[in-house]
Amino acid sequence: MIPRRHLETAFLLSPALVVLAVLFVVPLARLFSLAFTDPAGPLATFAILAESSVYRQVMWNTFLVAIAVTGTCAVLAWPVAYVLSRLKGIWFGIALYGVLFPFWISVLVRTFSWMLLLERNGPLNRLLMSTGLTDAPLSLLFNDIGVMIGMVHVLMPYMILPLYGAMIRIDQRLLLASDGLGAGLVDTFRRIYFPLCLPGLAGGATFVFLLSLGFFITPALLGGANAITLSMLIASFVNDRLAWSLAAAGSLVLLAAVLLILGLTARLLPLDKGLFAK
Amino acid sequence: MSRLPLSLRIAANAGASLVLAFLVMPILAVVPASFNKTSFIHLPPRAYSGVWYERFVEDAEWRSSLLNSLEVAVLATAIAVVIGTLAAIGLRRLDGRMRVVVTALFLSPMIVPVVVTAVALYRSALDVGLNGTILGMSLGHVILALPFVFINVSIALRAVNESWLRAAAGLGAGPLTIFRTVTLPNIVPGIVGGGVFSFITSFDEVIVAVFLAGHGNKTLPVKIWESIRLEFTPVIAVAATAMIALAIVLFAVAQTVSPKTRDQAQ
Repeated sequence: MIPRRHLETAFLLSPALVVLAVLFVVPLARLFSLAFTDPAGPLATFAILAESSVYRQVMWNTFLVAIAVTGTCAVLAWPVAYVLSRLKGIWFGIALYGVLFPFWISVLVRTFSWMLLLERNGPLNRLLMSTGLTDAPLSLLFNDIGVMIGMVHVLMPYMILPLYGAMIRIDQRLLLASDGLGAGLVDTFRRIYFPLCLPGLAGGATFVFLLSLGFFITPALLGGANAITLSMLIASFVNDRLAWSLAAAGSLVLLAAVLLILGLTARLLPLDKGLFAK
Repeated sequence: MSRLPLSLRIAANAGASLVLAFLVMPILAVVPASFNKTSFIHLPPRAYSGVWYERFVEDAEWRSSLLNSLEVAVLATAIAVVIGTLAAIGLRRLDGRMRVVVTALFLSPMIVPVVVTAVALYRSALDVGLNGTILGMSLGHVILALPFVFINVSIALRAVNESWLRAAAGLGAGPLTIFRTVTLPNIVPGIVGGGVFSFITSFDEVIVAVFLAGHGNKTLPVKIWESIRLEFTPVIAVAATAMIALAIVLFAVAQTVSPKTRDQAQ
């Protein structure tokens, strides 16, 4: 006879487990199995993805955009995280809401906003021209620049929060000690402050990079046909070409890349501290 | 580092202000855009009018998309909150390897790119006939919302001391009484926080909805998504403004109900 306590535990967990199995694990498994059903052979779809220069270009572009977005976020997050870790009272509240508020606004709405701002005759171009920075309107939309701006905007809080989390946990006495022992500002930063921020930075960078790889709405609207990413390619396989086996193979490649990076960073860095502590 | 020189402090503050402005200001651009008088979106508008708000309310398709979104979000939130809360409570009773594996499974919808999830759900929905239905979209959103409920309730559960549960059991309370009188009152903030976040996750969701909506049952984000590609008039800005307004209300609710959700919102 199974102990009553185990029955209770099973009762508590089973609804969620069943829902996840039926609505998530099984559909994913069924999709992935389609990748191996091509009449030309079980790995034919992957060969098509690997051999076509167009598809290789798409994957390379996805990777480059993700790297560039992660790098930009990592640089821009520093002053915000640092100031957040120093502020108190009402100013801290205002700054924190500034970081958290965008989380609550739909990515679609934020992307649409950028479409209005980056337009050829939009406010940003008019501002640039009226200040004399440019003579002719820049094309900021439907290319990699637009995609970069939009994605950095959407993903920046994912970098700021873990970095801020690492900064507030730093024991200020360490910095005072370093100061007192005669280390200069640069030395203290390089040898004490930066290494202690590293888990947060790595956590944030992993988060931003993984989300960038699978990003869909922002590149689709701000990049269009000129900046196709892997997720857009997968969607187009399904919607435009009804090529389910290719969509399945592309999905597997995307998921494998995400899991590989997650596994690597989890092994190399104390990721759980960076991601979940705050 | 404990005392940066003044010039660096000023630089840090200026940099932080600029980045924060970059994060917040662009979002609000849709609000003035929604008051354009012409059918072309000009920012700032040359002439203001509320004509596109009238259009939004009068247009049957926009109206029904808003109602569909609310319906989908309510249904998805209800399911996700119930099963996510039960799961978070149940997980505490597991230990060791099982616990790690089950936690990873519950969080996995956050790891898998949404496009992949959406395509997988679309394929299965086609096979079972859930494509183009409110129920289909709700079930898809349950998967995306579940991790948020699970995380929020798990964090709230840390405040519930195991010894209270043992004390209640020792005093003769059954499992349901213990849940109702000890566990539940302590995790209400987590449940509400998870619920609010589930609702906004579903209400804002585009990708799963675009794949599953079909022709008849578009949600508001799906309608916006299509209109951006087809007509690009200020009525989209009206819809976007409505979504921002709802997000602000929910944000305020989450802040007042639980001081802790602020830290869990990420």
